[in-house]
Amino acid sequence: MAEQILMAAAILIFLGVSFSVLRLILGRTVIDRVVAVDTLTVVSISLIALYAHVAGRSIYLDVALVYGVLSFLAVLAIARYLEQGL
Amino acid sequence: MLELFIYLLCGSILVSGILAIRLDSTLAAAVSGGLASLFAAVCYVLLGAPDVAMTEASIGSGLSVLIFLYAIRRTTEQAP
Repeated sequence: MAEQILMAAAILIFLGVSFSVLRLILGRTVIDRVVAVDTLTVVSISLIALYAHVAGRSIYLDVALVYGVLSFLAVLAIARYLEQGL
Repeated sequence: MLELFIYLLCGSILVSGILAIRLDSTLAAAVSGGLASLFAAVCYVLLGAPDVAMTEASIGSGLSVLIFLYAIRRTTEQAP
């Protein structure tokens, strides 16, 4: 049962990365690309957490934590730039 | 399974780099450049180097995009 759940999570992460990169390539406006990048950071955090569980190393969760904080900061900077504030 | 994810991430690094060169908008190019560094950090984790990945995520994906945006704003104000 746990094996099927992990496989379903891996397939969902794979599809998420694929469709977000497709949106990044096809994106008409800059906003589409920024939202695609934000989605990709969230999917990457979940990929790192899944790999930390599969490999059995909890040190990888620290990377996911640092990643979550800093990706939020980068998207915030992009939003301030688009609002002429930076 | 792990090899498949590493191939997907390496292909995404290539796509992000090509987009960073080819895109017309400067903001979208800077975002794509940061995204290449983000994929590289995930690839480092999957290859077993979490400390390198943490440095890459903080410097390459977080700080460099911010500095790029600050530089773009400062230079386009002077010469529109």
